[in-house]
Amino acid sequence: MRILRNLAQALGGLRLNKGNTFLMTLGIMIGIASLTVIVAIGEGAKSKVLNRIANMGFGPESFSVYSGAGRLFFGRSRNTTSMTLQDADDIRAMPEVAIVVPRQRKRMRIINKKEFTTTRIYGVSPEWQPARQWKIVDGDFLGDMDMDRKRKVVVLGATPARKLFGEKDPIGKKIRVGQVFFEVIGLLEEKGLTESGYDPDDRALIPLTTSMSRLFRQTHLHSIKVVTTDPEVVQDIMEGVTKILRRNHGLSPLADDDFRFVTPEGIMQWVTESEQALNRMLLLISTVSLLVGGIVIMNILLVSIRERIREIGVRRCFGARRSDITQQFLFESVFVSLLGGAMGTVLGWGLSTAFKNFDLLPTKITLDPFILAFGFSIIVGLVFGIHPARKAASLSPDEIIR
Amino acid sequence: MTVPKLIEIDSINKAYKNEGLETEVLRGISISVDEGDYISIIGPSGSGKSTLMTILGCLCRATSGTYLLDGEEVGQFSDRRLSRIRNEKIGFVFQAFHLLPGVSAFDNVMLPLIYCNKTPSDAADRVKRALTRVGLEHRMDHTPGQLSGGEQQRVTIARSLINDPKIILADEPTGNLDSKNGEEIMTAFDHLNTERRTIIIITHDPVVSQHARRILTLRDGQVVSDRINENFKESRTSLGRATVE
Repeated sequence: MRILRNLAQALGGLRLNKGNTFLMTLGIMIGIASLTVIVAIGEGAKSKVLNRIANMGFGPESFSVYSGAGRLFFGRSRNTTSMTLQDADDIRAMPEVAIVVPRQRKRMRIINKKEFTTTRIYGVSPEWQPARQWKIVDGDFLGDMDMDRKRKVVVLGATPARKLFGEKDPIGKKIRVGQVFFEVIGLLEEKGLTESGYDPDDRALIPLTTSMSRLFRQTHLHSIKVVTTDPEVVQDIMEGVTKILRRNHGLSPLADDDFRFVTPEGIMQWVTESEQALNRMLLLISTVSLLVGGIVIMNILLVSIRERIREIGVRRCFGARRSDITQQFLFESVFVSLLGGAMGTVLGWGLSTAFKNFDLLPTKITLDPFILAFGFSIIVGLVFGIHPARKAASLSPDEIIR
Repeated sequence: MTVPKLIEIDSINKAYKNEGLETEVLRGISISVDEGDYISIIGPSGSGKSTLMTILGCLCRATSGTYLLDGEEVGQFSDRRLSRIRNEKIGFVFQAFHLLPGVSAFDNVMLPLIYCNKTPSDAADRVKRALTRVGLEHRMDHTPGQLSGGEQQRVTIARSLINDPKIILADEPTGNLDSKNGEEIMTAFDHLNTERRTIIIITHDPVVSQHARRILTLRDGQVVSDRINENFKESRTSLGRATVE
C-alpha cells in the first residue's frame, strides 16, 4: 500500500527531526492538557452542585416561594414585607399540598459567654424538619409546644455549635441571640462546605412564633417552602399560589409579582445555564490554544520544508508523486498533533488527579475530553498540515535539485 | 525496419521566467539516443547542460518541442505518469550525491522501491545486492555522514540502479570527488555501459567526457558539436568493479 509506505516515511522523518517534532507537539500538548483539566474541573463542580441539590432534600415534588421579586439567587429586593402567615395558611388549605413551612430569616450574632459568631437565624415551623429531611444528631427538633408557647429554644447547625462550644455537648446550654437567651435543644447533622464556599451548616433554627414576637419583632415572612403530594401537580399548585399571593398582597393585574419561585427544576436550569456558559468559555479557550498549537505546527513544518527541500527533490526524482509528498507531510502533521494530544491528555489527567488528591479543586474525569482531544488533534493536524504539505508537493523537482 | 531510438527529442526550447524577464536556456535542441549509448554532454556553465538534463530526466517539461522516451511522448504527461517514468526508467546520480541525511545507506538505496507501484517482495535482497555490487556490503547501516565522498557516490549509483532503469543520468558525478575516487566512479559507469545500459553524463571535465562513446557540446542553448569519441575503447571488461548479478 502506497499510503502506508508514505506513513512510514513520515514517521522516519519525524524520528530524524526529534527536536522539531517535540516543538510541534508542545502547542497541542498544552492546549489539550488545559482542555482536559478545565473539563474535569467543570464536571467536578457540576457533580458537586447536583449532590448539593440532592442533599437539600429538595425533591421534584417541592418548591419554595420567596418574598421579593428578582432573579433566582441574586438581585432580589430585600425590602418586601408583603408575605405573611396568612399566605402560608391559604397555601396549606390547597388540595394536594402536603407540607407548608413558613420561614423568617436574619443574620445575627450569637454568643456563648466569651465565644461568639454570626450566623443565619431561621424562624421556622416544626414541619421544617420533615420538609428538609435533615437529621438531628443530638437532642430534639422544635416541637408544636415550642411554637405554641413561643419558647426560647434553638437548634444549632454544626458550624455555630463548633464555634461556640468546641467539642463540648451544647444540649441544654444557654446562648444569647441579640438580647435574648435561648436554650440549645438540638444539633443538626453536618453537611459540609459546598464547592462555592456556601456553608449549609452555618445556621440556627428557632420557632417561628418566637422569632416573630420575641427576636425579629416582625410579622412578614422571608419565604414559604411547599411540599406537594406529587411532582405532577407542582406546576398547578405554583399557579394557585401565584393567585393567592397576588390577591393577598393586593397586586393590581398590571403589577409584577412581589415574590418568586425556587424549584428544583429552576436550580437545575440555573446549573445548566451556568454550565453552558462555562462550556462556551471552555470551547473558546481550547479553540484558541489549539489554534495556537496548530499555527506552531504549520510554521515549523513550513520552515522544515525549506530545510528539507533537497529531500523532497530527491524523493521526486526517484518517483514520488506530488500526492506522495502531500501525504507524507500530512501524516507528519497529523501524527505530531495526535502525539501532542496524547501527551496533553496524560498531562491533563495527571493534573486533574493531583488537584483532586491535594484538595485544590474538585475534579471529575470523564471520557469526553479524551474523545475531544483525539478528534481535535486529527482536525488540527489536517487543517494546519495541508498548507505546508501542498507547498512541499508543489515544488518542482528540477528547482529542488539545483 | 529501423530500431526505435530510446530518446528522441526534437527542437526542444526551454525558457525560464524570472521576475517577468524571460530567459531562453535551450534553443531548438534535437538529439536522438540509441539504447546502450554512452554520451557525455559538455559545455561551459550557462550553456544549458543542466536544463537539458532536467528535461531528459522528466523533471520538468520543455516550453516547446517533442520528447519521445522509449516510444512514448512524455512531453504532455501528467505528474503521476512522469513520476512513474522517473521511477522505472531513469536513475539519477548527482554531483552533490543528494542522499537523505541521517538515513542509512540501505534505506537510501531502498528509496526508489518505496515509490514503485508495487514494492517488490525481494526488495531487501535487491538493495543488498546493489550495495554489494558497489563494494559497500559492509557499510549498509552507515548514514551518509559516516561515509566518505567516494562511498557516498557509490551509494547513489546503487540507488540509481535499484529499479533497473534503462537510462542513467549523471550530473557532474565526479565534481565533488578527488581524482582517484572520480576515476573509480567513472569505471563503474563504464562497466554499467557494457551491460547495455544507456548512460548520459553531464560534465565540464574533459577527462570524464573521454569515457563516453559520443560527446555532445552545448553552447548558448544549442548543440554545437556531436561527435564520436575516437579514444573510446569498446572493450572495457578489465575495468569495472564487482560482477555480482
